[in-house]
Amino acid sequence: MPEKLTKVDFTNLDKVLYPELRITKAKIIEYYVKLAPKMLGLLAERPIVLTRYPNGIDKEGFYEKDAPLGTPPWVETFTKYSETVDHSVNYIVCNDLDTLVWLANLAALELHMPLSTRKSVESPDLVLFDMDPETPAGIDEVVGVALLLKEKLDSLGLKSFVKTTGKKGLHVVVPIASGHTFKQTRDFVHEIGTELAVESNMVVSESLKSKIPGKVFMDYAQNSSGKTMVCPYSLRVTPQATISTPLEWGQIKKGLKPVEFNIFSVASMQDSPWKDILNEKQKLEVE
Amino acid sequence: MAKEVKARIRKGSIWSGTITIGLVNVPVKLHAMIFDKSVAFRFMHKTDNSPLRYEKVCVKEDKVVPWEDIVKGYEVRKNQFVVFDKEELRAALPESDRRIRIDKFVDYLSIDPVYFERSYILTPDGNGEAYSLLLKALEKMGKAGAGRITLRTKEYPVLVYPYKNALILTALRYAYEVADPRDLEELKELKEPEKEELDLAVKIIANLTGEFDIAEYKDTYKQKVEELIQKKMKGETIVVEKPVKEEAKELMMALQETLQQLKRK
Repeated sequence: MPEKLTKVDFTNLDKVLYPELRITKAKIIEYYVKLAPKMLGLLAERPIVLTRYPNGIDKEGFYEKDAPLGTPPWVETFTKYSETVDHSVNYIVCNDLDTLVWLANLAALELHMPLSTRKSVESPDLVLFDMDPETPAGIDEVVGVALLLKEKLDSLGLKSFVKTTGKKGLHVVVPIASGHTFKQTRDFVHEIGTELAVESNMVVSESLKSKIPGKVFMDYAQNSSGKTMVCPYSLRVTPQATISTPLEWGQIKKGLKPVEFNIFSVASMQDSPWKDILNEKQKLEVE
Repeated sequence: MAKEVKARIRKGSIWSGTITIGLVNVPVKLHAMIFDKSVAFRFMHKTDNSPLRYEKVCVKEDKVVPWEDIVKGYEVRKNQFVVFDKEELRAALPESDRRIRIDKFVDYLSIDPVYFERSYILTPDGNGEAYSLLLKALEKMGKAGAGRITLRTKEYPVLVYPYKNALILTALRYAYEVADPRDLEELKELKEPEKEELDLAVKIIANLTGEFDIAEYKDTYKQKVEELIQKKMKGETIVVEKPVKEEAKELMMALQETLQQLKRK
């Protein structure tokens, strides 16, 4: 008998979770297992939020913050008061392969993470520029804005990392040193968004809820302690099983097709363009 | 942009002659373009680590035969040979007239890639006027010249066409060198797939559709062997890993691989 490869007892491996492509839970777990070496570093020490679809994406799904009943004792958790639900929440912290496999076995298709770690919840280590288009604008418009943003960040001497959201938008992330507050990062993103809005009438430095057709929204409010971003390499709940995929800046150009980055194609990708993100400890020029 | 991956060019040419198109001549040189990059091993004697040498041994006398005493024989039927000496075969060599004869011009894309054997780079021999004219004209028309060349002992059908601002010559296979898949029994009665299955397959293909980048492909066996060579040079011993059982589920294989990757970090 070979040594056990995982602490997780798999259940319903044959259950189809993406009906259009007939992708089973076994394939989802396999995907997360393959991507674990690229994901675990970024997930580590972050209280995460799940989007679970135990009966497949065409059935009801739910958002889950609290570690569910039956969470095994070896899964790490972190207790924190949540404003949105107004009570303390036992967040899951995914620090190892077993926990990731366990999450996949829960049909936690999407993993969302905060922009800070549990060691300093109120002090972000990532700054997020969350860009989404409102029709008729689409990914090409977001690409245009992302490139303007990159230029601006470059001029400030800040290294930035980009990923698809797996839907129509892009995430640009700037890793920072400890000691900043969410108010500072939020103001910084709002400020840059406002400057870009002057340069390009495409940009609106507000959340997508403002809904002006044909614009690209840069939602600075995502930089808050209660908010999360979809994890790099997380699956998305889309019929094509798209992935929020870290890319090289060179890949960000007109004609980018986020659906080309999906459970089939991303599993075989080589190095992660984000592998050094947490080594960059940059300082923001803020009050 | 993805990093450009390519073989190192070799400076010297391997052939020179002329492309002839009717009464027009284009003097050219031929350069190697394709380089095989597999790891080359030599056979060694296990007990004293000495490399082995090949020798031609006479079956009847069990003695090594010197080069000047070697002739070529063609086995007509079992143990019956017709013998040629070197002169006789040399006389039969195709006339190597140092020409690439272009018979006609064709659409490059109309030729089945299964016939492509090996490509060479053509460079101008001399001032290059005629070369440049042929290159630009082919580019403009989107055509390839089809013809023949004799290289060493074999005559090849060839295509000459523009690529990256150069003329490329690709030697082709003869029709009788390429088998027809329709002659395989197991392909004669293929089952028609169900519509539903076909729809699913089409969706999966659509999901995996992207730009082809040859630079993304690497010979992992070669990389692994080169790593092992480096280890050997440093005097490390090599642990032989047992291949994963075939019946093991893909998920378990993925787990095993990931566990090893994580351990290495």
